[in-house]
Amino acid sequence: MIVSLLDELLIFSATTLLVAFVLGRGLAVGWMATLLYAGQLLVLFKMAPLGYGAQPIASELGFEVMGQSLSWQFDAMSWFFALITLVAALLTSWYASGEWERKFRSQGGNVWLFHVAMALNVLTMLILLASGDLLSLFIGWELVTWAGFLLMTMAGGPATRAAMRYITYAVIGGMAVFGGIALVYASAGSLQYDAILTAATRMPVGYLWVLVLLFAGGFGIKLGLLPFHLWQAPAYAETPGPGSAFLGAISSRMGLFAILLVLVKLFGIVNIENLKIPFTLIDARDLLAWIAVFTIILPTYTAMKQNDARYLLAWHGIGQGGYMLLGLVVANALGSAGGLLHILNYALCQAALLLTVFAVQHRTGTADLNKMGGLVTRMPLSFLVLLCGIIGLAGLPPMNGFVSKWLVYRSLLDQGMPLLFLGAIIGTLGTILSVYKLIHNMFLGQLRVEHEHIQEAPWSMMLPMLILAALIFLTGLLPGIPLTWVASVQQSLGLPAIDFTLGGITAKSGSLDMIWVIGVLFAGFGIGALIFYSAGRSKRVHQLDNYAGGHFLTADVRYQYSDNFYSGLMHLIGGWYRGSFLWLEKSISSLIEFLSLVMKGVYRRANPEFYLMSAVLFLLAWVVI
Amino acid sequence: MIDSPVLSIVLPLLGAFLLPVLMRVSLGLGLWVGPAILIYGGWILAQLAIDGSALPMSLGIGGFAPPLGINLYIDQTALLFAFATQLLGLIFWPFQLDSDTPRRQSLMLLLVAASTGLALSGDLFNLYVFYELVAVASFGLITASGRPAAHAATFRYLVLSGIGSVFTLLGIALLYSQTGTLNLAHLAELAPEQLNNKLGLTAFLLMLIGIGVKAELFPVNTWVPEVYATASHRLSAFLAGLVSKLAMLVILRLLILVFHQPEALQIVLLLGILGVISGELAAWRARDMRRMLAFSSIGQLGMIFIALSLPDDRGLLAVLALSLHHMIVKSGLFMLTDGWGGSLRKLKGLGKRAPFGSALFVLFALSLVGMPPLPGFWAKFTLISELASQSSSLYLIGLVVFLLATVVETSYLFRIAGWLYQQPDDSPVSEPPPRLGGLSLSTAGLFGAALIAATLWIGPVGERLQAMAVQTRQVSLYIDTVKPQLKQAAQASPDASAAAFDNRRLAASSCETCTPMGDEQ
Amino acid sequence: MLPIELLLELTLMPLVAFIVGMMMVLMMRRIAARIQRRVGPPFFQPLYDIVKLHSKRTQVSHGLIHDIGIVMAMGGYIAAETLLPVPGMDGIADKGGIITLLYLMMIPSLGLALGVGQCANPNGSIGIARALTAMLAYDIPLVIVIFGVAYAAGTTNLVDIIATQQAGGFASWGAVQNPLLALAGLIAMHASLGKQPFEIYIAPAEIATGPMVEMGGKYLGGLFVMQCFQLYTTSVLYVSLFLGGGTTWFDFLLKSFLVLAIPVSIAYLFPRYRTEDLLRLMWKWPVMLGLIGLAFVM
Repeated sequence: MIVSLLDELLIFSATTLLVAFVLGRGLAVGWMATLLYAGQLLVLFKMAPLGYGAQPIASELGFEVMGQSLSWQFDAMSWFFALITLVAALLTSWYASGEWERKFRSQGGNVWLFHVAMALNVLTMLILLASGDLLSLFIGWELVTWAGFLLMTMAGGPATRAAMRYITYAVIGGMAVFGGIALVYASAGSLQYDAILTAATRMPVGYLWVLVLLFAGGFGIKLGLLPFHLWQAPAYAETPGPGSAFLGAISSRMGLFAILLVLVKLFGIVNIENLKIPFTLIDARDLLAWIAVFTIILPTYTAMKQNDARYLLAWHGIGQGGYMLLGLVVANALGSAGGLLHILNYALCQAALLLTVFAVQHRTGTADLNKMGGLVTRMPLSFLVLLCGIIGLAGLPPMNGFVSKWLVYRSLLDQGMPLLFLGAIIGTLGTILSVYKLIHNMFLGQLRVEHEHIQEAPWSMMLPMLILAALIFLTGLLPGIPLTWVASVQQSLGLPAIDFTLGGITAKSGSLDMIWVIGVLFAGFGIGALIFYSAGRSKRVHQLDNYAGGHFLTADVRYQYSDNFYSGLMHLIGGWYRGSFLWLEKSISSLIEFLSLVMKGVYRRANPEFYLMSAVLFLLAWVVI
Repeated sequence: MIDSPVLSIVLPLLGAFLLPVLMRVSLGLGLWVGPAILIYGGWILAQLAIDGSALPMSLGIGGFAPPLGINLYIDQTALLFAFATQLLGLIFWPFQLDSDTPRRQSLMLLLVAASTGLALSGDLFNLYVFYELVAVASFGLITASGRPAAHAATFRYLVLSGIGSVFTLLGIALLYSQTGTLNLAHLAELAPEQLNNKLGLTAFLLMLIGIGVKAELFPVNTWVPEVYATASHRLSAFLAGLVSKLAMLVILRLLILVFHQPEALQIVLLLGILGVISGELAAWRARDMRRMLAFSSIGQLGMIFIALSLPDDRGLLAVLALSLHHMIVKSGLFMLTDGWGGSLRKLKGLGKRAPFGSALFVLFALSLVGMPPLPGFWAKFTLISELASQSSSLYLIGLVVFLLATVVETSYLFRIAGWLYQQPDDSPVSEPPPRLGGLSLSTAGLFGAALIAATLWIGPVGERLQAMAVQTRQVSLYIDTVKPQLKQAAQASPDASAAAFDNRRLAASSCETCTPMGDEQ
Repeated sequence: MLPIELLLELTLMPLVAFIVGMMMVLMMRRIAARIQRRVGPPFFQPLYDIVKLHSKRTQVSHGLIHDIGIVMAMGGYIAAETLLPVPGMDGIADKGGIITLLYLMMIPSLGLALGVGQCANPNGSIGIARALTAMLAYDIPLVIVIFGVAYAAGTTNLVDIIATQQAGGFASWGAVQNPLLALAGLIAMHASLGKQPFEIYIAPAEIATGPMVEMGGKYLGGLFVMQCFQLYTTSVLYVSLFLGGGTTWFDFLLKSFLVLAIPVSIAYLFPRYRTEDLLRLMWKWPVMLGLIGLAFVM
């Protein structure tokens, strides 16, 4: 049997899992796993022509089970997602090796399980990305779901509770997809993409509606789309450090991958546009777009209220997913490119941010935003990485997040969608507010006494963080590089491809050239520095040498503003946080509890004959009538 | 030369009556008899299965030719269940030594004999007899093996089962009065003309309710939770894993061969849906592992009933796949309840102390909720893809209920998994931590291994099941297999003995005629 | 265009902005003085102030980020000026467009916020929290306005937007075409300047001038420079969007000063709003005006 590159990749990935499984009790397992991820990445680089428009690579592996044939293949989109997955895996695994791992073990964590779960996640994600028909897609989907569950639940305690919530949601999503696949099979008679493509064109409107809702809802749950977003933040935040960063970076995007594949590639966004909601002006695409916008806004403003750095970032993860979906459902060249590019950009930022938060937690032992402050003097490099990350996440120049968000804004402008545009901007503003809170409460302000002697994060953790920060900047400076891959993905999806240059985008209605923008920005900084430093030397003073309205500051006085950071804003919008989704979730689970009690009561009755008789009577009556 | 599969019924039956006597003579010898019989029975059936060319075949026994006499119909499906009966009988053999041993072992042999009969029997009267035998044997076993609470549960079961039997008998009587025969093949021939009416439907419903008691059909399954919770775990595994499926097999035969009314299918579907809803929801609240598994078993059987109501081959494939899967998984899970019974809270932190058992639990749970690529997924996939292609909206409701039930199922199964792998509480535990017996664990391990093997060879297994479904679904094949015997019986009825004792040759000859026909169809 | 010309433009644009900005500060002070019946400062007072602040002997730093924050605050605006066309000079306006400009204008705020954070004074942090909240308040109407203008013009390129307005004469000015948007933009612009009644984040009596609490010497000087740029950028952006930009330097400056005079004059007649009142005001009137204006555009 000739082994194709895809098989090579999958075998490599399976080997990683095996090595982690067998040798995982040894000391160097982290490093071995990291090397193996690097190996997988190399194989992926060998497949790089995919990112430049080459033909899909099929796997030699194929099954025929109960009349269903299963196949696997890699195309431009799979490659793009796999690239993000493996980069994230490589860097987070690197981060986990060495110092972090030692501390994790000393705190009673199971390092073996951690590496196994990581390797399993990567493998299952690759399998999902390689799916060549709807059934293998679903198999991959479920595998990813359960692999994620393993990684989330392994920390025990609150993590297990969060993971349970996750798996309930994920299974609801899985079942929606399962139902959708059954309906597709019933209508197309096959689960091969070609057959579905032709069948999709002649499906009746009602049928298509059901399918769109099932697939969008089912896959959307993994993406954290409203109203199915509640599971995500706690599940990701409670996962052990690097695992959290890995999941935060890429796990949810698997939902986006599947949505792209099914809703955009198979059903076609144009078909979806034809689905009108009666008596309103909006169609299914608008519906998705609005869901995306609410997914941007609500979780972002929930993030603003978090007092735990991990939760704050995890909530942002949900919100950023909204931008991707928003860009993709706009579906013109700029918008879909923005959505796709944001997947990469966001993954880099989120990984960097979470890794930094966990590095700080590694040193200080807390992620509580009210128990830190002033750490910039102790951990300057971590501060730098976090700064790059938050600028990218908030989508400000000069980092990469700006480019992808710019594309999304532009597409909304071109399409004339002012309210969606406004929603997207409101989300961005909320992001700026809350990431400032993050960096302020962690790194700025007064350094606490107990943190006076902590050190910068160890190099085994620092290097991957710095690499991520560099990537965030580079993809912001030269967006043309990832945009090449994005354009290939667009072609493979049948969307209009974007017209780009190395530094950005050229379009008649307004261009962007990041090289120039960043160039003048840094020139501006240079001039600013010149003005600033040409003045007299400044004297460094201690942080307690500060204006306090006449009081003398001492180390035991907390002189820090961190809690209820945006109190003015909360005076107005605080009342708008109603917890409606929590209420909905609670009421549904109460309903099930109640029904369950009723059913149990049915079975606990002492006179079963009664049922039997009444059943017979009822049935006989039914027959006779 | 293959020994007659009749022996797989007769020998255990004989053993059941002789065992108490034998044990009084020599306990040591007696202890070996039961397993030996079951191994032999299993071997006969396995040989038949390996040499698949002889199937399907029909056998007449006891000197009376059909339609009056006993007749066995063996196709791949029947063989599978008969084989599973012998095998599971062996696996769940009540080997404990105490004063009750002879009674328990002979009852078990009786149960196996009756169950095998249930699987193979080709006429309604015998089915009824075997069915009653199964009931009697299980009452005895439950009271013999369980705790005192089992007596109360058994009484409830007894009442229900008794009334059920009356209804079954009533249904059979109705059939007989209408057609004058109880042979299934004969009935199948006559059904389109004589039973396609309200009377036929009534007969079916009566039998459905009656047999449904064993098949855990809603609403006549209220005995299930208490019995499974109080009987010994091995017996519960046997009852939940196998006996319920056999009752279901009887209903399956009736549906395929005799009752073709769409109403019949609808009512099965409706009751199946209600079973799924009630079982899964009740399991969600259960705070005791056995009860939870019992409720879950009701739910699973409900799914099988939903599958049963599907009118074509793929539906039947779903039935077979779901049954087989449930047989393996539920048996395995019940084996784990040895020691893990009682309050679920006791299970906290057991993952460290019983890693293998916990891992098995997770494996079974994953397969039960249908995680690919475990076999449960394929079974469920077959079911829902078939449900989705039906036009009737009731099927779509079934689909939705099925999907929602899976969510509930995941929620309660993995709640337990979560507890298993939780850190144990620091507070001093008043009671000793639950221990899993070595034998139970290894038995569960066996089922786990079977599950994994089925995962790896899912392709061949699937093909085999598909072939099975196609064969079972062919009404004409059934009629044509049994028909020569009927004709011969009609000619030879004055002198029945000649025909009856030469059944083996008959079976072979009938197969020569039928196998190519099967191919044609 | 020759690289050297471009380089010249890129150098000249911030320089012009700085000088005009200082004049705007002067105008602001003069207006304040007139309203309060004072004479007001001499012409070169802003320059004197900047030089004075930068040459102070006591310069108190709270750490590197404190310094970098000030550098970012100035540098961000210097960069932003190159994206803002002035008569005869387009700079790199066609390479960024209005959205980029909008976001580039957030960099100085971010820099200031970082610098203030490093000062480790809760008064400063409270000020920044308020300032960011205020940004959330005024950016929403501002974004509606910008969307409306860009959509009406069919481009995000400021050069094109200005050219369209100039081509059609007075009647095609944004303010004439979309008066509601122009009005909303004016209110949002006023708030974005952080002048009364929207200066809660400084609130000297309450939080000791907030962000500026630990700023002295060249730090305050840097902020002064930043203010010059801010006044210039805001008014020129408004002129570009609604008043047809400038064909000649004379009418360009005239328009810019006039536009700025409106909020400044209003500012000194008002006390200040609390944060939530600012939000309420901004999210009610200008947003409503903007949305109605937008409805006309669409």
